[in-house]
Amino acid sequence: MRLAERPTGTAAPGTRTGPLLRVQDLSVSFATGSGRLRAVDGVSFDVGAGETVAVLGESGSGKSVTAQTVMGLLPRPAGRIDGGSVSFDGVDLLDRPDSYTRALCGTDIAMIFQDPLSSLNPVFRVGTQIGETLRRRRGVSRRKAREHAIEMMHRVGIPAPEKRVDDYPHQFSGGMRQRVMIAMALSMNPRLVIADEPTTALDVTVQAQIMSLLADLQREEGMALVLITHDLGVVADVADRAILMYAGRVVETGPIREVYDHGAHPYSVGLMGSLPTGDQDRLTPITGAPPDLRQLPTGCSFHPRCAFATDRCRTEEPVLRPAPDRPQAHLTACHHAEEVLADGIR
Amino acid sequence: MASAEPLLSVRDLHTTFPIRSALLRRRVGGIQAVAGVSFDLQAGQTLGLVGESGSGKSTVARTIIGLEQAASGQVLFQGQDFAAAGRAQTRRLRRDVQMIFQDPYSSLNPRRTVAELVSEGWQVQPGFGPRGTWRASVQELLERVGLNPDHLDRYPHQFSGGQRQRIGIARALAMSPKLIICDEAVSALDVSIQAQVINLLQDLQRDLGLTYLFIAHDLSVVRHISDRIAVMYLGRIVEEGTRDEVFDRPTHPYTQALLSAIPVSHPWRMPSRERIVLAGDVPSPADPPSGCRFRTRCPKARDRCAVEVPALEVRLGEHASACHFAAVEPAVAPTA
Repeated sequence: MRLAERPTGTAAPGTRTGPLLRVQDLSVSFATGSGRLRAVDGVSFDVGAGETVAVLGESGSGKSVTAQTVMGLLPRPAGRIDGGSVSFDGVDLLDRPDSYTRALCGTDIAMIFQDPLSSLNPVFRVGTQIGETLRRRRGVSRRKAREHAIEMMHRVGIPAPEKRVDDYPHQFSGGMRQRVMIAMALSMNPRLVIADEPTTALDVTVQAQIMSLLADLQREEGMALVLITHDLGVVADVADRAILMYAGRVVETGPIREVYDHGAHPYSVGLMGSLPTGDQDRLTPITGAPPDLRQLPTGCSFHPRCAFATDRCRTEEPVLRPAPDRPQAHLTACHHAEEVLADGIR
Repeated sequence: MASAEPLLSVRDLHTTFPIRSALLRRRVGGIQAVAGVSFDLQAGQTLGLVGESGSGKSTVARTIIGLEQAASGQVLFQGQDFAAAGRAQTRRLRRDVQMIFQDPYSSLNPRRTVAELVSEGWQVQPGFGPRGTWRASVQELLERVGLNPDHLDRYPHQFSGGQRQRIGIARALAMSPKLIICDEAVSALDVSIQAQVINLLQDLQRDLGLTYLFIAHDLSVVRHISDRIAVMYLGRIVEEGTRDEVFDRPTHPYTQALLSAIPVSHPWRMPSRERIVLAGDVPSPADPPSGCRFRTRCPKARDRCAVEVPALEVRLGEHASACHFAAVEPAVAPTA
């Protein structure tokens, strides 16, 4: 078994053995005016039932494209799946038509987007939108759907849901709109929720409310939660595991405290040094800029920005391997992980 | 703080946006985006102005620079009133105060080369030498902000977001300003690039003696870069003081809640951290609560708060707070 394919998810206690979501060696590219662009390049990870996983990365890291592919939302024909597989509960989604995936989505898999204003339909009442899936998929009556919408709004902490159920999206604040989105996503009791930058557009106090709401709902419902974000801070409280992406690849993964406290990839260490914590005089940023995805560097994509880079990094692409002398679930794609870890201790 | 005359002094500033009727566009009311803001900024220092959407922090900046008209109040630059200045003085002031904007994609004209963008101000302001020397001066500026000086004939789209923000900084520096207003200047950048630009701003401040008014919603960034902090809520400053005073000993309930909500990258290292979750949303600035504007969401609110506007004054410790009960225990637990 290749190390990159080692399942890292924790199976739900007492149920099936396999992970709920398994992404294996997934590659996705886009056609652009100036050539094909490899957005996702051999990405593998598992998400176990009931697990909360953070997918972290900066713009262009491939984190959102990975989510879109899982949800069958890849824009076509520009986007193309070049290889790999995505299976949900043991069923390969890429083998099936997109319509199969979409039928799963909304029922077993749900998604929460960054911008609730553009994801909600402005001309329909929020109650209608929350109840829509139930009406379409289960054929319940209009009245039952409305009752269900009120109950969902209550559960996500929208005050006076009996009155607000007939309001339109523009009548809600940004934070309340995101709660409406969450109510929609959870209305069918999904087993997996993928949230793409769910708090990025929100103010910091509202951000805190929404993250604690998601964490509470996750605990109550026992669903698996995938949080996609560029913000290392907002997920630190709630995620069990972190998957860090750079230029379309997974560069480090493991229990979130492992990755944050014992970074075994120069990129994750560099990201941590870029964060203002309040006690540094000067930040220690990563030099340079992320690469052009149409002209990726040879070998390790991070080598032009890396202080540890050697000739080997310029020629040989590193694969995920266990971080030396760290817990088994902690994987890194760096040839020089030993030195990176030793440097962090110093 | 007893010291020399401040570089920038804002006195009881009000900025109001009219609400007009749909039909005859008659004025039917006003939104007080800025409702009585005062602060001083000393030369060479950085004042961080923080607050959430709708707090009025960007409107303060836009009013200072003249992009919005003040309804009342004064903006004094080196003791000189912006509004009362004559033409020549205004021109001088416009040179001394520069602004860096949030979005490096929309704030640069896509049809102009870097050389044209950076030297644009020199065409209207006297004293920047003959045209023949401009290219060399632009190259110096590009080098200063960490860009390749040979790229002066390129267009904005040929640069990354971080590089474009550096062009914006070079453009501001071209006027040899004394004060730079950074309005969410690093907010749109990825974290690794953001750190580079923050370091650049700090280097420039040290080398050129610049003064910054740094407006941002990211409290960690503001804490890192600022000497003093002013916290705004719904058009007013609720707390102001040195960075350490405000972050370590906040006395206003809003500041306490705001600071407790900052996402922490290593929460397990601070087990005592307690999060104060505010109820409800920010009220509409078109119809703000009477008295203290924060009272509708405040855990300490009492009857007095609805009638009496709390002044921004020193009530506990060494910094100003606009809460009647800033000194009253039990205060909400400070963060960290």
